[in-house]
Amino acid sequence: MMTAADIGTFSGATLRLAMPLALAATGEMVSERAGVLNMSLDGMMLTAAFAGALGSWATGQPLIGLACGLLAALVLALWQAAMSVTLRANQLVVGIGFNILALGATTFLYREIFGAASRDLIPGFARWPVPSLAELPVLGPALFQQTALGYAGLALIALTWLVLAQTGFGLSVRAVGEDPRGAEKAGIDVRRIRYYGVLYAGAMAGLAGCFLSIADIDTFTEGMTNGAGYLALAAVIFGGWKGWRTFLACLLFGSATALQFLLPDLGVNVPVAALLLLPYLLALFAVAGLVGRIRPPSALTLPYVPGR
Amino acid sequence: MLEIAGISKRFGALAALDDISLSVADGEIHCLLGENGAGKSTLCNVIFGVIRPDAGTMQLAGQAFNPSRPADSLRAGVGMVHQHFSVIETLTVLENMMLGHAGTRLPRVATARRIREISEEYDLSVESDRLVGTMSVGERQRVEIVKCLMLAPKLLVLDEPTAVLPPAEVDSLLAVCRKVTQRGCAVILVTHKLAEIREVADRVTVLRGGRAVTTARLAEADLGALVRAMVGRDVAALGTTTGAAHGVETAAEAAGMTRTGAAPTPIVAAEDALTLDAVSYVDEAGRRRLDEITIVIRRGEIVGLAGVEGNGQSELGAILAGLALPSAGRVFVDGKEITGRPPAVITAAGVGVVPEDRHAVGCIEALSVAENVCLSALGAFSRFGMLRRRQMAARAVDLMRSFDVRAAGPDAPMRSLSGGNQQKVVLARELSRDDLVFLLAAQPTRGLDVGAVAAVYDRIRTARAIGTGVLLISSELDELLSVADRILVIYRGRIIGERKADPAAREAIGALMSGHVPVAP
Repeated sequence: MMTAADIGTFSGATLRLAMPLALAATGEMVSERAGVLNMSLDGMMLTAAFAGALGSWATGQPLIGLACGLLAALVLALWQAAMSVTLRANQLVVGIGFNILALGATTFLYREIFGAASRDLIPGFARWPVPSLAELPVLGPALFQQTALGYAGLALIALTWLVLAQTGFGLSVRAVGEDPRGAEKAGIDVRRIRYYGVLYAGAMAGLAGCFLSIADIDTFTEGMTNGAGYLALAAVIFGGWKGWRTFLACLLFGSATALQFLLPDLGVNVPVAALLLLPYLLALFAVAGLVGRIRPPSALTLPYVPGR
Repeated sequence: MLEIAGISKRFGALAALDDISLSVADGEIHCLLGENGAGKSTLCNVIFGVIRPDAGTMQLAGQAFNPSRPADSLRAGVGMVHQHFSVIETLTVLENMMLGHAGTRLPRVATARRIREISEEYDLSVESDRLVGTMSVGERQRVEIVKCLMLAPKLLVLDEPTAVLPPAEVDSLLAVCRKVTQRGCAVILVTHKLAEIREVADRVTVLRGGRAVTTARLAEADLGALVRAMVGRDVAALGTTTGAAHGVETAAEAAGMTRTGAAPTPIVAAEDALTLDAVSYVDEAGRRRLDEITIVIRRGEIVGLAGVEGNGQSELGAILAGLALPSAGRVFVDGKEITGRPPAVITAAGVGVVPEDRHAVGCIEALSVAENVCLSALGAFSRFGMLRRRQMAARAVDLMRSFDVRAAGPDAPMRSLSGGNQQKVVLARELSRDDLVFLLAAQPTRGLDVGAVAAVYDRIRTARAIGTGVLLISSELDELLSVADRILVIYRGRIIGERKADPAAREAIGALMSGHVPVAP
């Protein structure tokens, strides 16, 4: 029998697990709407998770950890933008390269730096229950006992939708990803907008990474993203490059992961390994089922040569 | 208004612009006349800041003007309507107009009001809330013009604005140009069709090979002399295709030249090469691109398909090449049904295709001339799975000689050939087959120079002479009139009329192209 407590735990776990996906996917959606695919999303998240954990562990201040994580992800994003926008390298190849580099570098540095201290708990953000709302039955504790980073993330996601739909910058982003030549002729600096897009994706992936290491489980483990960056990429496609649909896709993937906590409680006997596979399987079907029915931004992954 | 002095621009070894100087007065309509590749578009792009010149200076309204980006030109008061439109299809008209707006909130209401004002003032009807992707070419061009006028420009540059329009819409475009200049704005109008701008232009500058050959007041100019200046040769000696393309031929000339083509002497008389039976095509977005097209082409005849671009010609070409599936209807070649069969089967049935986009579909630029020529018959050029290079080269040399392809040799990469020579290679490959029943030639002369155009049409006439049925798709009515036997007109995916390819039918076909179907008596 499913109890109220089960529902509360399940929805709390869903939101918690969907959060890093939603942050990364929202940033990536902006970059893709501007025409740049960041295959390196997973690498950026992993790098930020490590840098965030390192900064927080060394100073004891999760906020400084967050700053370190953001900075690390932004450096990677700037590098990615230079490669794919200025040097017009193949975006897929560059992104995969970054992912391999990030996995190798964080694993190596983690063993070198933490070494014996790997059992230490890393200082993370404290939970900050919203007064009175957090005491609501069933969903209250699940939804309104986030860390500050969680609330800020939700606000940022909503803000991103607003910027994309309602501002001149958002319109420029959409134009650049559809028809860069047309946008250039309308007086928009295509490469600058694309840099902003990639950097935004980097910043959001940085937040997502820090969410994993210092606002959720407060520790770093090797390869701890477990492909969350790829799930976020799938969520952008599944969401049809639209803000709220991408967010819903992330919630869906999050809930699929959260099933591993709910099903055993309900007495359903499914191997845990199969449950861990579920979100990835879901992403595969979602993306495969939508190919041809959803139109990506026309200039996605196509480098832009100004003039002519 | 605009003073240009000594502008030069090189692309590699090619001097696209060579020391060009010209001046445009306030309220003047100044035409740039020239053939493909004369440097007209390059000059426009320099004025609009898309391309930076290597040398030379410009002045706009008395002030030094050297834009490094389109944004600079826009700020200085230069608006440009490009040959390839720059409005973005997935945005609405309103969103397109707000593009490049820097503020944090989009001024939807104010912009919509301004669009209304402009469209009333200049009599240009434009709907703010429609997606540009759903509009016709003429409507898109109106959106482009309104977008330029929103900025109250001092100078409006129109790059080949008439090339995409049916005749009736050309007139209303020219009327808009006149209205714009009445408000003191100068207009630069680019074209290669002198006849169309005869009524509106104040002065004309002729470009040839990147140089400004002559500038003349149109009222005093000798049109024949202008065309000679543009072509660099005497038009009469060039044949109709050229004269016609510039709109200066007389009916008698054109009729005379039509007969110079090889007379049709079909081997198999009255036999159908191609039959299209009520073919329809609905695209991914659910738009009906082709609507029950029925065409019968006999062996040994050239049928021209006239129409303004974007009326279904591309889709029809794709279906005939096996690159798209018709939604309904059937296709027969030589009596055999080939509906929905893959390209390999269609080729084997005797269909040759000179595709619309020779870069993307017609040839593989990274491969050599010989490899491209033999690509469709690799089996004949290999033994035990190994390519027989010597035979391939011999075959290529043979075809290069008979089709007059200018290339370094059979091993030269296709990429190194000029557009005209690439097209000749594609034609050579398709026409050299013994089993050719039907040839589809889609816009085969686009972007080619005069000599190459004549060569391409000679080859197509030769194919007719040996009994091939030809469907020639072109948006250049004058070319169709000089090559085809009869002309079908396509409009919004339907065949709306058929005329004999007679210069006297020119007006009637032009009217059909713009959708005016004569009422039956």
